[in-house]
Amino acid sequence: MADEAALKGLLLKGLAGDEAAHRTFLTEAAALLRAFFRSRLRGRNEDAEDLVQETLVALHTRRESYDPNYPLTAWLYAIARYRLIDFLRRAKHRAHASLDGVDVGEPDPDYQASDARRDVATLLDKLPEKQRTAIRMVKLEERSVKETADATGLTESDIKISIHRGLKTLMRLMGQEQPQETGK
Amino acid sequence: MKTDDLINALSRGVEPTERPRWRMNLAITLIVGLIVTAVLVAIGLGVRPDIGAARMPVMMKAMFSALAAAVILPIAVQLMKPGRPLGWRLVAVVIFVGVCALATSVALMGEMPEERWQAWMGGEGRAPWCVVLIPILAAPTAALLTWFMRAFTPTRITLTGAAIGALSGGVSAMAYAMYCPTDSVAFVTTWYTLAIAVCAALGALVGSKFLRW
Repeated sequence: MADEAALKGLLLKGLAGDEAAHRTFLTEAAALLRAFFRSRLRGRNEDAEDLVQETLVALHTRRESYDPNYPLTAWLYAIARYRLIDFLRRAKHRAHASLDGVDVGEPDPDYQASDARRDVATLLDKLPEKQRTAIRMVKLEERSVKETADATGLTESDIKISIHRGLKTLMRLMGQEQPQETGK
Repeated sequence: MKTDDLINALSRGVEPTERPRWRMNLAITLIVGLIVTAVLVAIGLGVRPDIGAARMPVMMKAMFSALAAAVILPIAVQLMKPGRPLGWRLVAVVIFVGVCALATSVALMGEMPEERWQAWMGGEGRAPWCVVLIPILAAPTAALLTWFMRAFTPTRITLTGAAIGALSGGVSAMAYAMYCPTDSVAFVTTWYTLAIAVCAALGALVGSKFLRW
């Protein structure tokens, strides 16, 4: 791993437009950052690697914010620490946002079931006629594909394709209806 | 995405960076803030009627406020970029506050005991309104400074917010001196300093919301 002086030289060359030096700088910085984040997020190497990448982008886009009168590592770790705090705050926010100050209590099982049924019905209504019929008969009324084909006058493969397409559309619609997760 | 791919993507075609003229921009930001605040004082509060005769004390109060801003300025500048220590710049603030406390007590000792309270509060039945008015008037300058600071990379954003608050408080107090009817030394060293401290506290609270990057 490069030392302070070598790293500083690489960054300054990069600032002057030296592509190879900048690449080497980012590679060396990535190694330092990986060690930094892994030691602070033990056992969460994926999160650590995400943070390495986020911080590399910050180091790159804000490389002009380096003041050559002060140690480069102080600059680098200040940005890394900032990204880490930001990450932890986001994670905390994700964990608590929906429950903060709200007494949710026990869900009513009957209500939940009827709620789920209503939601599926609403979503099914958004599908094209053929897909809706196929899914309702095969998936909800538990009839066989052959029965459904006979009842609707469609071919069996037509039914299967309709189910497949319909389910894909349903999944997309459900993704839209649920509040989007922030972050990655 | 693999980290190595990211590095390659980032380093492809880097161009030499040019140094922005931030000193000039900061000076313009502060001057615009001062002008806006002065206009607000003139419209909202009015210039004190005896401004001609009271030129000296008004100047002294404006100088005091400018000095407070000048003590804060190096801290704000240092916080613009990551990884720079504050060191003596914080010591300067402590010395400034210490000298203010000393000046306050010396000035109050010089008064007759029964007049001390009045001299401190700014006269019979008066209250030190500057503690409220200076922070309100500081808002435009604080907004301008935050906008200026967002172009940089502060990593200690609560502290940066406090520095922006105190700096805009100093600028605001300079303009407020045109209106402020009280000229006693103990009044200014106590309440102006406290008003600027209130600005710093508000800045610390609000700063972390607006300075994030």
